[in-house]
Amino acid sequence: MNHTRWLIPIALVVALAQIGFLASMIAGRAAILRNGTEVTLAVEPVDPRDLLRGDYVTISYNISSLPGSIFVPSEAEDRSPYAVAVRLSRDEDGIWQAVAAQYGDAMAAPAGEGEVDILGTTYTAPGENVANVRMRYGIERFYVPEGEGKPIEEGVRERDFTMRVAVSEGGTAQIKALYENDRLIFAEPLY
Amino acid sequence: MVGYASAVTKDIARWHSSGLIDQTTAEALRRDVAQNARQGFSFGTVLTILAAVLLAAALLLLVAANWEAFPRLARVGMIFGVILAGYVGGAVTGRRGSAALSELLFILAATAFGGGIALVAQMYHLSGEEADAILIWCLGTLAAAAALRSPALTIGAVLLAGTWLIMTMDGLGWRAGREIPLSYLLLAAVMWAVSLWTQSATARHLILLSLMGYAIIHHIDTDTLVAPIGLTIVSIAFFAWCLLQPVESERWLKLNEGGTVQGLLGFIVGMSAIQFALYEEPEFIYVAIVVFAGVVGALLLGGRDNRLLRVLAYAAFVYEICFVYVVLVGSMLGTAGFFLIAGLVLGLLAWLIRRVERRFAANAGATA
Repeated sequence: MNHTRWLIPIALVVALAQIGFLASMIAGRAAILRNGTEVTLAVEPVDPRDLLRGDYVTISYNISSLPGSIFVPSEAEDRSPYAVAVRLSRDEDGIWQAVAAQYGDAMAAPAGEGEVDILGTTYTAPGENVANVRMRYGIERFYVPEGEGKPIEEGVRERDFTMRVAVSEGGTAQIKALYENDRLIFAEPLY
Repeated sequence: MVGYASAVTKDIARWHSSGLIDQTTAEALRRDVAQNARQGFSFGTVLTILAAVLLAAALLLLVAANWEAFPRLARVGMIFGVILAGYVGGAVTGRRGSAALSELLFILAATAFGGGIALVAQMYHLSGEEADAILIWCLGTLAAAAALRSPALTIGAVLLAGTWLIMTMDGLGWRAGREIPLSYLLLAAVMWAVSLWTQSATARHLILLSLMGYAIIHHIDTDTLVAPIGLTIVSIAFFAWCLLQPVESERWLKLNEGGTVQGLLGFIVGMSAIQFALYEEPEFIYVAIVVFAGVVGALLLGGRDNRLLRVLAYAAFVYEICFVYVVLVGSMLGTAGFFLIAGLVLGLLAWLIRRVERRFAANAGATA
């Protein structure tokens, strides 16, 4: 059969396509780390039951819960989970705070000087008028070597942790480095 | 399947040497047997594939547990190496005619692809939806299955698609409000087409089961009876088509004559959902009567030549009796009464089944 003759070249193509897909994922993330705008977010204590799961720590940030009042009204696609663009601005302590948010892939108004737009998702539908909107940015998980999650979990409740996050031009966030006050605890290598 | 093929091949050789058939007929028969024998899995193949799954799991756990011991790039390189070696090695062994080993290597490679997605997520602390990662894994496996014409990979893709479907319905915490993906139906259609090309009847059966699950998820999610009623009607039509046009339906479905079984199963699943929704209503009893009529009808119409259908019908009958008992009689009788009634009903049922089986056997003997 003709198919059998081409089996080995086809297998090669399949393997290279899957390897290429994984490599492009890695390259995309490395590009965000290299070229993304760096913002510093405060790590907040989360429900301890939720914190430690296997080999990663679940973390929450100062921008994980947004007040409903900062939302700019907009026409959004009615499909859960909803994309939300959040505008960040640096406060006097060096922590970036959410100043405005809008449902959709981007803010309508262009970002001003010293402002960065980050993309997140939420399950709160637009127009629900809730006091707080729970957000996720895809950086809520911090993988740690086995057994090292507990100290971080306990530390978050007693000491101040901050996370340096790289944000791509499109708004995708990528964890870059974890700090305790000014002490570097972990830095993400490019590869 | 392989056992049957080798037995027939021996018979063909004997018929040929004893002059019953000529050389060309013998050749044609041998070709036909060889072509059709590919369809099923032998026990040995199943064991080989299980071995592949265990090896793959061991490999992934080894990498995950010792991830500090390997530099990041070494881990990535290892995954890439397994993907490349698995697919190409599988193709080489496949060309040499070792189907089982070939499928084993394909599965190793596809597992490594899934492990690679998890590894990249771990490397860059990605916390997106796990369901999306499973979907990507499923699509990659499905593409490989189609390209390499691998039945085992087709089954793998169908199982991953089912996992994706179940993960999206996790209604806990922040995931609440996520909609059940309509796109699953499209995915199921594509997987069906691929399974025809890769000749995997098992994959098609699994797809049908997943579609029943989809109807139930839709029912739970929307709290309407649209999906169960739809499932019931489609199942009846499906059963009728497989029963009345066995040749035509088999050509399209290629379910190894399991179409009527799937039809009856879909009918029971759909009607069960309706019964659960109506169990406090007076209409319950009418629904129960429809179920009994449906099961008995399926048994009488299609049970003669299909043992699996008969077994399913008997099981459904017992299940329905328990259902009706719990809903209607449960409160009136004590436990002792339950055992008494259950004993009597099961005894009666056993007697009926024996009679039905004997009649079918006698009929089969008369027509043979």
